[in-house]
Amino acid sequence: MSRKNCLLTAALCALAALFFGCAEIPEPKAPSYKTDLPETTVTNKPFEKPFPLQYKTYLRNDEDTIMTEYKGSVPFRKNDDVNQLPKGYKHAQPYLKNLWMGYPFSYEYNETRGHTYALTDVLEIDRINRYSDKAGLPSTCYNCKTPKMVEWVGKYGDDFWAMEFHGFRTELDLKDHSIGCANCHDPKTMDLRITSVPLNDYLAKEGKDPKTLSRNEMRSLVCAQCHVEYYFTDPKHGPAAKPVFPWTRGFDFEEMYEYYKDFGSVTAPGMEGWFADWTHAVSKTPMLKAQHPEYEMFIDGTHGAAGVSCADCHMSYTRLDGKKKISNHHWTSPLKSPEGIAAACRTCHTDKSPEYLKDRVVTTQRRVFDQLILAQEVSVKAHEAIRQASEWQGEKAADFDALMAQARERCRKGQWLWDMVSAENSVGFHNPAKALEALANSRRYSQEAVDYAMQATMFGIGPTLAGDIKQIVPPILEHSRKLQQSAEHLQSHKWLSYLPKFPEADLVWNLNKRVEGTPEAKEGH
Amino acid sequence: MTENRSKTGLKIVVLGLLLGVVLYGGFAFSMKSTDQAQFCGNCHTMYEYVRTHQMSGHAKQACNECHIPASGVERYVFKAKSGAHDSYVTAFGTVPDVIHAGLDTKEVVNDNCKRCHDITVLNVAMDVKPYCTDCHRSVPHMNKLPISKRSAANE
Repeated sequence: MSRKNCLLTAALCALAALFFGCAEIPEPKAPSYKTDLPETTVTNKPFEKPFPLQYKTYLRNDEDTIMTEYKGSVPFRKNDDVNQLPKGYKHAQPYLKNLWMGYPFSYEYNETRGHTYALTDVLEIDRINRYSDKAGLPSTCYNCKTPKMVEWVGKYGDDFWAMEFHGFRTELDLKDHSIGCANCHDPKTMDLRITSVPLNDYLAKEGKDPKTLSRNEMRSLVCAQCHVEYYFTDPKHGPAAKPVFPWTRGFDFEEMYEYYKDFGSVTAPGMEGWFADWTHAVSKTPMLKAQHPEYEMFIDGTHGAAGVSCADCHMSYTRLDGKKKISNHHWTSPLKSPEGIAAACRTCHTDKSPEYLKDRVVTTQRRVFDQLILAQEVSVKAHEAIRQASEWQGEKAADFDALMAQARERCRKGQWLWDMVSAENSVGFHNPAKALEALANSRRYSQEAVDYAMQATMFGIGPTLAGDIKQIVPPILEHSRKLQQSAEHLQSHKWLSYLPKFPEADLVWNLNKRVEGTPEAKEGH
Repeated sequence: MTENRSKTGLKIVVLGLLLGVVLYGGFAFSMKSTDQAQFCGNCHTMYEYVRTHQMSGHAKQACNECHIPASGVERYVFKAKSGAHDSYVTAFGTVPDVIHAGLDTKEVVNDNCKRCHDITVLNVAMDVKPYCTDCHRSVPHMNKLPISKRSAANE
């Protein structure tokens, strides 16, 4: 065959292929790659060259100025409804510091921002004691902040968790080690992977192998590595401070509450052996702290139960080069712009306008947020009732101790339920019915706590509990580790007087650097 | 001489007829084959739509049973227009992140619903919602399915 004929045949074949469709439509499968990156890569920068488009969208997480109605990326103080942005915001929860009295969350708790700030924010937060060589919190606090975890867990095993948090600060680059590619991707193939120890532990308990999980499951589970409720193992029950997800009874909040009636070392009457995160400084109640249970909230919600994944709404496909789809790696509120809503929602809700969709979300959020504030007020009243009852000098009920134990149990449960909604970042949207149910039950349990405390004092505390709770127990706007060094501050509010005064001290740590002039700690990690 | 001339005339007529048959055949064939999912699926941006079409109850119908007018000159005009638009966008333009049907396509598709399903809807009013797919919501390419069941990166 001549060269000309050859070309002609090839052209005809191509034409035929076009018409008859030689190309089979492939299964919807994520692409697999072969990179030159070593499997041990824990920094972000090396991924930029092979994946410039994805990296470009990842860097968009640096945006931290845009707010939505209830959420957004300005890291305002979540208890502050007094000051303007960036310090406070109109939709803040004024009682948070009261309700977490005696726990690090009362020092600082802010609105979240992009993954690119995860490391900066954990090293900057006042929850971790930067005025001392002892952080007061374990290295487990790095678990969801950096791909360095892969390296550290490999190096130290289960010894890592209880090691000194401050000891690792200097190993970290604020940006290059912040949550990044290696947290979710195998650096060699870029296949989705689960690097989280507690999630892998849970999957193993359930008899699931992450390697055989469906792509759809993985598109949520990579987020469930971190956007979940967790606790640190009590040394009596396993490796100290190892993170665990309390899921073996189920994802329902009441089931998780039942789970915590084990795995701890509480000695309070009626709660022996229960798990507690801390004892409330004012009511002396063994408390549970809820943390961002996005996965548990969403999984049996309208979207989750229908198999819609986190990535469907938070990593919608975009054609950055105008042609091929890539997953948008800018994880943020889809409500920030009409374009964001269009990308996140209108792939499925093709017949709805961005305005309509936003209105539906905010309608749920408004109801949930209003009920959340009310549930927190009754919760404050429960703590105050228990405080007053425990100091009651008048006539007491014959079964005073039993009634007080019941009051504290209800107080704990009431707070657990509102906290699961408060800590969850969708303001109810991920599961409207579950959120509102939790808040309704929260108020019920907190009110029962008040009732038991009343009964215990033969209703003697009735008059001092009557009236507006905001007058009886004003919200605490300002509190921090620095302020707790001041006797004057501790006298400024009835509840603050229950806290011990800290010795005066200056900052030892500033992000990943030791403050100059402070003595080096003798023991490293 | 006369015989020769009429022979030539006959040849021309026969050849002309043959050419007509071939041209018409070619035209009909290419019209038909460019209506099919196999053709439409040549562009990766259409993978999601061809894939969901193949998974659906309409898998044996051609794309253009729904997507262009059923007959008449408008069928050819619509097809040429859409083809030109899609080719231009694919080659020189910017494909949007989420591809939505335009108003004209929605009208055409809706007419085609009623064309095939006319007996079913014969005795009912059709004035409650603008489009049949406002109730039959999975027909527009199963758009309530989780993304991973219908789409992937690089498409």
